[in-house]
Amino acid sequence: MSFEADVIGKLPQLRRYARALTGDAAWADDLVQDAAERALVRRKAFEPGSNLRAWLFTILRNLYIDQLRARREIAMDDESAPWRSLEAPRAEVDGLVLRDVQQALYHLSMEQREVILLIGVEELTYQEASNVLEVPIGTVMSRLSRAREHMRMLLDVGPAHKPAPLKVVRTKS
Amino acid sequence: MNDDHRDSERQAGVPGKADEAGEKGIDSQMLGAFVDGELDETQRAAVLAALEHDPEAKARVAAWRAQKTALRALCNQPEDAAAPMIIVRARATWPRRLALAAGWLAAGIAIGVVAGTFVPEGLRRHPEPATFARRADIAYAVYAPEVRHPVEVGAADETHLMNWLSKRLGRKLSVPSLREYGYSLVGGRLLPGEAGPAAQFMYESAAGARLTLYVAHIPTDETAFRLLRDGDRRTFYWVSDHFGYALSGPISEAKLRAIAIEVCSALGGKPESWQ
Repeated sequence: MSFEADVIGKLPQLRRYARALTGDAAWADDLVQDAAERALVRRKAFEPGSNLRAWLFTILRNLYIDQLRARREIAMDDESAPWRSLEAPRAEVDGLVLRDVQQALYHLSMEQREVILLIGVEELTYQEASNVLEVPIGTVMSRLSRAREHMRMLLDVGPAHKPAPLKVVRTKS
Repeated sequence: MNDDHRDSERQAGVPGKADEAGEKGIDSQMLGAFVDGELDETQRAAVLAALEHDPEAKARVAAWRAQKTALRALCNQPEDAAAPMIIVRARATWPRRLALAAGWLAAGIAIGVVAGTFVPEGLRRHPEPATFARRADIAYAVYAPEVRHPVEVGAADETHLMNWLSKRLGRKLSVPSLREYGYSLVGGRLLPGEAGPAAQFMYESAAGARLTLYVAHIPTDETAFRLLRDGDRRTFYWVSDHFGYALSGPISEAKLRAIAIEVCSALGGKPESWQ
């Protein structure tokens, strides 16, 4: 299969991740567009045999961080915050109402949100997540624990009392 | 802002506030690894057995599993019927690149012709290779093997590094990320250049291979993109807006060239002209 075909094959997952990360469908689609384009232009940087999906996540994440920097004033407790425009899901899964889960997700810091999404939803291994996030595995694990406990706490008490502004928590070098 | 410093405490085995919930029972990270299927059979069995006597941990596992399922359900909602198309624009295609190159070449010839009529012979000859590229190559040879002091200021202090070198070189410097090529920034140092200060930035791959980007102010201006070979080392160098840039490393020419094109473009140069 050609490199293009491989990249295109990963687009749905890339899009799912971008949507969950940003909480903004339009922004997510732009990110996916940019990431796919960049991946094709820089195909030589990809090491054959390594995990293409993780590489694409890395590219998308770098773009996202750059764009976040440009939009850093957006706060998650803002009425106009992008995630509010998402249509609230209504289903209930295992006793958790998705709408609450969605709210809790966007009350996490980006650092916690991305780790919980990469491992919980995209099913990356700890090692792959450590590559994408550019931190050691031990950091991935402790961030993940904290993210999950934070989320659990939010789901228990409800996020209403904990407005957490969206912030850039680290910059790439 | 970032509480990762707590990780080192944990890893060093310092008990305490690091993980309020996890200290008394099964380690919280172990539970996470259990939920995520990251444990081997023995560890898994151990956690399973421990969970029998630890209702708090059991509740945590249940909550995390529910979270995981809910997040998947959330992220896999059926999408709006018309999934937007993703259009992947390939950047400049070959014919376009050729056309661009031809354009630059024509411009070069035109400038050459015009310049040729006025400029005395001696000034038109470029020293080959440019002295700054030689200096960059030597600086690579000197500093890349350094184990303990490869740079003066490390990438952890990137803001300071960039401010300092920008100040010394008299221009706002920036360095591109080469993460996608597997190289991360180690840091940089100040060096004596031909006619004033120069900066060397060092990148390193996970395998320990190093690349350096050398930046110096130079009086002449030319857009040519050239290669200097010295043993195993390759240095691609170019000049953009009175600054000379040289990327050196012991990797294949094709790969170094691809990275150099990326770097040039990221720094506002016009790599189209080299294609």
